Amino acid sequence: MGVIEIKNLTKHYGKARGIIDVNLEVEQGEVFGFIGPNGAGKSTTIRTILGLIYPTSGTSTIFGKNCIEYPEVRKELGYLPSEVFYYDNMRVINLLKYSASFYKKDCTKRISELADIMELDLKKKIDDLSFGNKKKVGIVQGLLHEPKLIILDEPTSGLDPLMQQRFFELIGDENKRGATVFFSSHILSEVQKMCNRVAFIKEGKIIKLEKMSTLQENNYKRISLETKAEITKEAFNISGVSDFGVKGKTVNFIFKGNINTIMKKISELELSNISIEEPDLEEIFMHYYEKEN
Amino acid sequence: MNMYLHELKSLRKSAFIWTCVLIALAALYLSIYPSMASDAADFKKLLSGYPASVRAMLGINLDYITSFLGFYSMIFSFIILCGAIQAMNLGVSILSKESRERTADFLLVKPVSRSAIVSAKLLAAFTAILVTYIVFFAVTSIMANTIKISDYNGKLFFMINLTMFFIQLIFLAIGMFVSVFFNKIKSVLPISLGVVIGLYMIGAVLATGKDDDLARFLSPFKYFDITYIIKNANYEPRYIICSIVIILVAVVSTYIIYIKKDIHAVS
Repeated sequence: MGVIEIKNLTKHYGKARGIIDVNLEVEQGEVFGFIGPNGAGKSTTIRTILGLIYPTSGTSTIFGKNCIEYPEVRKELGYLPSEVFYYDNMRVINLLKYSASFYKKDCTKRISELADIMELDLKKKIDDLSFGNKKKVGIVQGLLHEPKLIILDEPTSGLDPLMQQRFFELIGDENKRGATVFFSSHILSEVQKMCNRVAFIKEGKIIKLEKMSTLQENNYKRISLETKAEITKEAFNISGVSDFGVKGKTVNFIFKGNINTIMKKISELELSNISIEEPDLEEIFMHYYEKEN
Repeated sequence: MNMYLHELKSLRKSAFIWTCVLIALAALYLSIYPSMASDAADFKKLLSGYPASVRAMLGINLDYITSFLGFYSMIFSFIILCGAIQAMNLGVSILSKESRERTADFLLVKPVSRSAIVSAKLLAAFTAILVTYIVFFAVTSIMANTIKISDYNGKLFFMINLTMFFIQLIFLAIGMFVSVFFNKIKSVLPISLGVVIGLYMIGAVLATGKDDDLARFLSPFKYFDITYIIKNANYEPRYIICSIVIILVAVVSTYIIYIKKDIHAVS
């Protein structure tokens, strides 16, 4: 039995699309990535799992039970929303204690451990915290009861790179301890680092479910070159190149495949400038998955 | 229990301020009483100069006005208005504040059912109202005993005061009921002021017309006719029943709608 099971889940907001016929099963102990551009239906899916919204049709369960009918299954659930807001006039420690009071176990030790890792000042008022620090409160709040299922909705926004690093380590440790992680994001590289499997969602539909190992064979890079001499399209006539654009001496394309192949190709050219970036998901969808479907 | 205590804590400041306002209002009005009572005849003459409909609107009853309870019943209608605003505010805000302050994603993913959340909040709001009422009653009783010129009926005084508690409960329930229809209420005051003052005006207009028992059902402010209470030392049963029905229907629908509601992401 999967930790999260979603069957034929559909949600409409009035006439507007939410999600359409989503099927997912997240297994015990895995880190599951949930990727899609903004507005694709990631949050809708997560909110249905959590029992915050009602599906139009279909079912969603965690640990085999529906969150709305059996709210107590959420005892084993830790959730970090993409934007965190807490009772402003409370102090961090009081909020965390309030949060802990729902789980009927002593979380004091874990709170101070987590606060140490995230460098969070427990005595401050939530009102006085910056966005990034509020996010840390959210992280501690979501993990303090040592949940068996952790649901993250775009967790890294607002955290500086160092804290992102710590956060990923933290989630990694939780996963080693046995926690299942459901990780939603619109940044592919972020998910690539830690997930076992990834589902892509677009316009409310799951368009692809892949093992990370498969995805990692395919590195996606957006490459821009400026060459000394004018070049032709034929120079890059190798498999894996798409969205190719050439304009005088500048070339622009997305490459999917073994990076070494393309690097060899590039090294044959006389360059004046180069940039290699992670393409955004939108681009990957546009140039690969849409075609493949 | 943890939710109840949390809510109670967050309500204490506003409950304290409202209690002070209600008491200050009562003190202000009651301070006029000694001077008015000493010139009772003149005062009556002055008021009888007002058209009957204006007197009715202001809740002035010439037969009783110079007795302590008669005077108190007149000023009490303004205090009730204030109390109703407090209760309505409380009712509208207590559930909607999770969406307004965007903390719904925190509270509603805790391992508690939505009905438990509604219960905790309802109970906390009820407690706030009850405490407000008890403190208000205690303080006004002391005031009344200091300024009284002749003895008044303590039981009647209690019964008159109790009508505020009833009306507050009605508005608390209506407020919660109204709030669950909105996805997000940006500002509570316009809604609560609108509803309360609207119903108060309806009540005031009704009072100027002929005594129409059916029309009185329209405004909770008319459910407790203080002249009737003074005369009969009792409440009118059908309006008591009506109050209970309103409260029950509003509270039960609040539960049903809130449990069935989609909690949308912050925006």
